[in-house]
Amino acid sequence: MKFLVSSTYLLKQLQVLGGVINNSNTLPILDNFLFDLKGNQLTVSASDLETTMSTILEVESDSEGVIAVPARLLLDTLKTFPEQPLSFVVEDNNTVEISSNHGKYALAYADGAEFPKAVELSNPSSTTIMGDILATAITKTLFAAGNDDLRPVMSGVFFQFSTESLTFVATDAHKLVKYQRKDVTASEVAEFIMPKKPLNLLKGILAGSEEEVKIEYNDSNAKFSFENTELICRLIDGKYPNYEAVIPKENPNKLTISRNQFLSSVRRVSIFSNKTTHQIRLKIAGAELNISAEDIDYSNKAEERLTCTYQGDDMQIGFNSRFLVEMLGNLSADEVSLEMSLPNRAGILTPIDGLDEGEHVTMLVMPVMLNN
Amino acid sequence: MAYEFPVRKIIHVDMDAFYASVEQLDNPELRGKPVAVGGGAKRGVVAAASYEARKFGVRSAMSGQAAKRNCPELIFVKPRFDRYKEISSKIRAIFLEYTDLVEPLSLDEAYLDVTENKFGNPSATMIAKEIRQRIYDQLGLRASAGISVNKFIAKVASDVNKPNGQKTVDPEDVPEFLEQLEIRKFYGVGKVTAEKMYQLGIFTGKDLKDKSEDFLKTHFGKSGKFYYQVVRGIHLSPVKPERTPKSVGAERTFSENLSSEIFMLERLEQIAHELERRLKKNQLAGKTITLKIKYSDFKLQTRAKTLSYFVADHSVLLETAKELLYQDALQNSVRLLGISVSNLNTDRGQESEAKEEAIAVQLQIEF
Repeated sequence: MKFLVSSTYLLKQLQVLGGVINNSNTLPILDNFLFDLKGNQLTVSASDLETTMSTILEVESDSEGVIAVPARLLLDTLKTFPEQPLSFVVEDNNTVEISSNHGKYALAYADGAEFPKAVELSNPSSTTIMGDILATAITKTLFAAGNDDLRPVMSGVFFQFSTESLTFVATDAHKLVKYQRKDVTASEVAEFIMPKKPLNLLKGILAGSEEEVKIEYNDSNAKFSFENTELICRLIDGKYPNYEAVIPKENPNKLTISRNQFLSSVRRVSIFSNKTTHQIRLKIAGAELNISAEDIDYSNKAEERLTCTYQGDDMQIGFNSRFLVEMLGNLSADEVSLEMSLPNRAGILTPIDGLDEGEHVTMLVMPVMLNN
Repeated sequence: MAYEFPVRKIIHVDMDAFYASVEQLDNPELRGKPVAVGGGAKRGVVAAASYEARKFGVRSAMSGQAAKRNCPELIFVKPRFDRYKEISSKIRAIFLEYTDLVEPLSLDEAYLDVTENKFGNPSATMIAKEIRQRIYDQLGLRASAGISVNKFIAKVASDVNKPNGQKTVDPEDVPEFLEQLEIRKFYGVGKVTAEKMYQLGIFTGKDLKDKSEDFLKTHFGKSGKFYYQVVRGIHLSPVKPERTPKSVGAERTFSENLSSEIFMLERLEQIAHELERRLKKNQLAGKTITLKIKYSDFKLQTRAKTLSYFVADHSVLLETAKELLYQDALQNSVRLLGISVSNLNTDRGQESEAKEEAIAVQLQIEF
C-alpha cells in the first residue's frame, strides 16, 4: 500500500474529520483515522461510535489496503509542513512511512479491520437541502439546546420534516427556538432528534456551501451526504416535547426595537446584574423601554432608556440577560419584535426583516419572576 | 417631649394568676381559697398562686415550705400544663379574631398590635375591654391589659390596674407615665440593675431621662442605649406574630414500593406541585430543599440542597429534588418520597426587601 498526496489537502480534510474523535476513548482504535485505499481513492474515516464521518480524497496510487493511523500524531505532523507532496508507504514492520522534502517519519499503524464499521441505514427516507440552509438552521437553533442528561431529548435539535416545510427546534426549557423553512420540503413526514456533536461538525463544514446535502434517516440513524463526505450518526431516542403547545398565541404587548441598540444596551446593563442570576428588568411604558440591573451584593446598578415602538399595557418583566444576549446575537435582523403577555409568561422574539422568502424564526424566552 | 414616632396601638394582655385560676375554674372546691400550683413536694417551688394566696404573701418561685409558713391554709395542686395550654390556645383564638399580629410571651401573656384590626375599631382601649370580657364570658377567667404605643409601655401598664383591670397610656401621656415610673418597673431592669441605678441616683423614669446617652452607655454598656430610648417612649420592637413554621413539606407513600428512579420522577412532580400549592397558600418560599426517602425497610434518608435564592416554584422544586434523587444510588426499594422546603423567607419585611433580586426565580417552559 502506497500513495502520494498533497500535505495541505490532506491536512484540511483530516482536521474536519478530527472533530469526530473524542479526546479520551475507551476503545483505543478510535484514536485513529481509518485509511481505506482503492487506487486513486483514499477514504478516510473517523468515529466515536455514535458518529462516523468519512471523506473520499483523490490521491496518486495504484495499490489497495486498509490501515488505522494514529490521528493525533498524524495531525500534529501535517500541521508543520508547508505545502508539498507526501508519500505514504506501508512497511512490513507494521509502520507506515511518510516521506517529505525534509525527511522520513514512521508511524505505527493498527489493523484496519479492528476499526468499527459505520452503520448501514436500512429502509431510509430521504430529503435534500442546500448545505448553507442546513448550516443556518443548525446555527439558529443549536445554541438553545439543553445540556441536561436527565432530559436527553432536549440536548439535541428536533428535525421535523413535512411536505410543506422543514422545521428545526431546540429548547432547554428556558428558551426555545423554532426555525422553519417553507421553501424547502420533504417527500414525506418525518421527525427525529439530532445530537449536538454531529450538528456542530455539519455546521462548520456546510457554512456557505451551495452543495446539495442528502439527508437519509430511519428510526435510529441519520446520514448526511455531500460532496465526497458522509456523516452517519445515531439519533437521540425519545419523544420531543410538544413545543407548539407552549408557544403562547395571545401576546397583546408588542415591542418593536432596533436589534443592535437593544443588544448593546442589554450587554452593558447586564454587566451590573447579579453574577449568578444575570437578571435584568425591562420596564416598558409608552414609547420608552427602560432596561435596568442591580447587583445588591456589590451595590452595582445600571439603567438605560431606549426609544421603541410599543403597543400594549405598561409592563415590567425580568429576564436572564444571557438568554437575551444569545438570542439577539443569533439573529441578523435590523429590527426585532418582542411580544409579551404577562410578566410570568414567555416572551416571543422574532426578527422583522432580513429573512429569506419562506424563512421563519420564532424565539421564546421564559422570564425571571420579579418579586414585586 | 412629645411622642414623635408613628403611633402604634399595642395591647399587652396578661391573665390574672393564670394557672391557679384555671385550677379554681376546674375544681369549684378551690374557689375563694388560697391555692398554689406546684410546690407541693418537699423541695418544690410555687409556680403560681391565686390572689387569695397572694394576700398572705405567697409568690411564685417561692419554696413550698416558705409559702406554707406564710399561709398555713394554702392548698397545693399539681400543675397540669396540658390543660393550661388548651385554655391558652382558646384565649389565643380570641386574640386572633381581632388581629393576626399576636405575639405570645408565654401561656398567659401576649402582645397584640391592633393598629389595624379586623373590626376597624379605632379604640384599642375598647378592644382590650372587649377581649377581657370575652375571655371571662367564654372561659370564666380574668385578665388584665395594658394599652399603649409600644410593647414596653403596654407591658408596664398591664400591671397598673391588675387584677381584672386595664390601663391605657395615651401617646400624649407617655412621657409623664414613664417619668413617674419606678425604675425597677422598667422592662429589662432586674434586681441587680435596679441596685446599680439606685446607686447612680436613678429612682424613677424622670431620673433616668435626665442622664445623657453617653452616661448610660458608660455604666450599662449596650443596654444604656436601650434605657435611654425606652424612657423617651422609643421601643420599636414589632409585635412578632406567633412562631411561623420552619419548613413546609409534602410527601407520598406509595401503594407499591418503587425501585426505579424513572417511576419516582412522576411522583416527585406531583409532590412538587402539592408543595408549591402549600407554599403559595402561605406565601412562603425557602432556600433549602430536602428530599426525604423512606425505604421499604422503613430506613429514612434525607438529602438536602441549599439554593442561593428563595423558591416556591414547582419546577425548581422538582429539578432540585431530581438532582438530589440522582445524586446517590438508592439503597433499597422506596415506600415514601417527600420534598420539604426550609430556610423560609418568614422574616419577610427585612429579608425580602434587602434581597429583592435574590428571590427572583427563572421560570421554565411547561412541557
